[in-house]
Amino acid sequence: MEAFFNDLAIMAPAVVFNIYFALASIPLGFVMAVFLALGKASSNPLINALSRGYIYAFRGSPLFIQFFMFYSLALSLNLTVWRPLGISGFVLHPLFMGPLVLVLNTAAYTAEIFYGALRAVPRGAVEAARAYGMSRSQQFRRVVWPNLIRLAWPAYTNEVVFLFHATAIVYFALPVVGPQADLMITAKTLFERDFNAFLHFSVAALYFLAVSLVVFFLFGLVYQRLMRHLPAQPGLRFAPKWLR
Amino acid sequence: MTHFRTVKPLPVLQEMLQPRKSGMFEDLAFWLGYITNGKHLTWYASFQFTIYAALLGGALAVVFGLTGATLKNSRFFVLRLVGSTYSSIVRGVPDVLFFLFFPLAFEQGVEWLVSTQVCSPEAIAAQTAPWPPCREANWFLGTTEYLLLASVSLGLVYGAFATNVIHGAMRAVPAGQLEAARAYGMSTTQVLWRVHIRQMWVYALPGLSNVWMLIVKATSLLSLLQIADIVLWADRLGAPNFLPTVGLVHDDWRWRYYLVLFVFYILVTWLSERAFEYLMRRTGRGILSEVRT
Amino acid sequence: MKKTMLAAAAVLALATPAFAQDTVRIATEGAYAPWNFLNDAGEPAGFEIDLGNAICETAELSCEWIINDWDSIIPNLLAGNYDLIMAGMSITDERLETINFSDNYFPPDPSKFVAAAGAGLDFSALSGARVGVQGGTIQAGYAEENLGGANTIVTFSTADQAMADLAAGNLDTILADGAYLEPVVNASNGALEFVGEDVMIGGGVGAGVRKEDTELKATVDEALATLKADGTVDALIAQWFDGMGPFFSE
Repeated sequence: MEAFFNDLAIMAPAVVFNIYFALASIPLGFVMAVFLALGKASSNPLINALSRGYIYAFRGSPLFIQFFMFYSLALSLNLTVWRPLGISGFVLHPLFMGPLVLVLNTAAYTAEIFYGALRAVPRGAVEAARAYGMSRSQQFRRVVWPNLIRLAWPAYTNEVVFLFHATAIVYFALPVVGPQADLMITAKTLFERDFNAFLHFSVAALYFLAVSLVVFFLFGLVYQRLMRHLPAQPGLRFAPKWLR
Repeated sequence: MTHFRTVKPLPVLQEMLQPRKSGMFEDLAFWLGYITNGKHLTWYASFQFTIYAALLGGALAVVFGLTGATLKNSRFFVLRLVGSTYSSIVRGVPDVLFFLFFPLAFEQGVEWLVSTQVCSPEAIAAQTAPWPPCREANWFLGTTEYLLLASVSLGLVYGAFATNVIHGAMRAVPAGQLEAARAYGMSTTQVLWRVHIRQMWVYALPGLSNVWMLIVKATSLLSLLQIADIVLWADRLGAPNFLPTVGLVHDDWRWRYYLVLFVFYILVTWLSERAFEYLMRRTGRGILSEVRT
Repeated sequence: MKKTMLAAAAVLALATPAFAQDTVRIATEGAYAPWNFLNDAGEPAGFEIDLGNAICETAELSCEWIINDWDSIIPNLLAGNYDLIMAGMSITDERLETINFSDNYFPPDPSKFVAAAGAGLDFSALSGARVGVQGGTIQAGYAEENLGGANTIVTFSTADQAMADLAAGNLDTILADGAYLEPVVNASNGALEFVGEDVMIGGGVGAGVRKEDTELKATVDEALATLKADGTVDALIAQWFDGMGPFFSE
């Protein structure tokens, strides 16, 4: 029991890194996903093909490979690009590279969710808006977007939890700077010391589970607010589908 | 071959790139020879591990998914609890955590079991390492064992996802179909296997296709279990080499090798999509038109 | 009774050959040329592979090479996935707490700092520098203790990855075994140079072995003594390290 609390204490600073990676990549990934989803729905063939290709490539390949690839790619550009700009240490830092790759990855998954929701926005509502003489941007802001986000929110919640889980592999692929270590590296180091797989991995799992539940709770509150105009909507449940 | 890079951080590279200016064909022959040397051939051969793990993991995921869904549909509360606990706990933690944990835990479980039989008290006292309990109880894990354990962990993790998919699909089968089967005098088992599970596939396939894609992508983690897989070889092949005794002197080429893997996985995804589309068309014949999309 | 049957079934079904100890399995990293690397044929090669095979021949053991990542190489030895580590591992007091070592097969050798030529690092008061090390090495421990406060220590999982970052300008310097760096610096035609003062850490390189495997350690030590006496070890060092020492005969 003492060992359990000990582990809880050791891993408390480690979970901060996982939370940081998730927090740093969620907002940017969200914005990028909106543009990608609109791009995929665009009638401009070039924008359409680019968005489709991007979403397909990043959803169709493992995040682990994406980490390795982008780090070594950034490294090979160091002398020609980052160094002259004076941002070498910043760009190649895992606290920057980690969120960067996570953003590129989650944007593709989120864009697919938004694209699905975009197609599900009732046509009648958009036609009505047009009949009122709204401009295209007005249509989007006042009619399409509110519908879209309500439709997409449950799936987007899953994606955020998935993204948080994906932070577990950041340090398996990137160099570690100083004593900065996330949950997985900490659990693995502890395991290699005394071989108690059950204790250390369970504690790490508890942290992941706990943060996932917090995410569900917070996103559930947002969902309730989004749906406040409708009578008695069922709230978000823990683990509805969890598929990306 | 200057088109390979625009930067030359180390003079070694320039030297390496200069001597073969003799002609295009020599160049081509050289690079063909290079990408078919033993090291590269071992890399190509290591794709088998990825494929085995995906196929076995996928098959096991369906088995665990069926088991989990049956448990969740059970009449007994305890079994239902087991089914839903399995599917929500496993999905509540990252796949990589479970992927690392399960083989270690299984190995230790087996070793503990063996140790209760073969370890004498003296042997246990003589053991200095924290694990295993004694030398005789040690279970050696080679690539084959790790590959099997990795596939089982993939099966367990994604079986939890498949549980949800199959559970939902079983509920999507029209009740009338089951009633009709019962009216024909089929037993509960017969209804389950001949009608319920047969028809369930149509509704489960789109979800299972998603699960399969997740498994394929998770196979990139095999190197974490000391399997010399495609990722490990990509790293070893691409790592810069400065010593002529070791092989071709080159600088960091890793991103090129990872790019190959990136494209490989996209191709596998594309092929899988086509395969599932075909399957869905076939199983959906005559049942529901909306299933075909 | 039930327990007996279960365990018996587990032994039979899972690993009849795997529990037997007929061959000596030697683990190496395969990413630390010229000590150990994967050659163009995709097989382990290098100083330690030649030496390990010589030891096995002398001691009449049948040996098998296993590639294992550096960071889990000691835990997996303890877990029994192989019997011997030959991966350029220095003998240190800290490691001796968990595992045992054979006699050294490479004499104590200083660790060195390497940097791009003309980097102009001031080693008398090094600060703000990015120092690359391989995780879990003696150099990683040393760097963290002595340079950690004022500099950034970047940890890599292989030495080759650290070299890649140095070559790409993402590190100011790397601290590593002199015998690993020397061939690289020589081959770089002046692009890389040794900087600062050498650091003497570690008691030479030996083969790691589990503490209770006293018999295996004795066998390896005996074979090593023979190979040192007849000059084989020195010849291999000369062959793989460009004729540069240190040698045992000096």
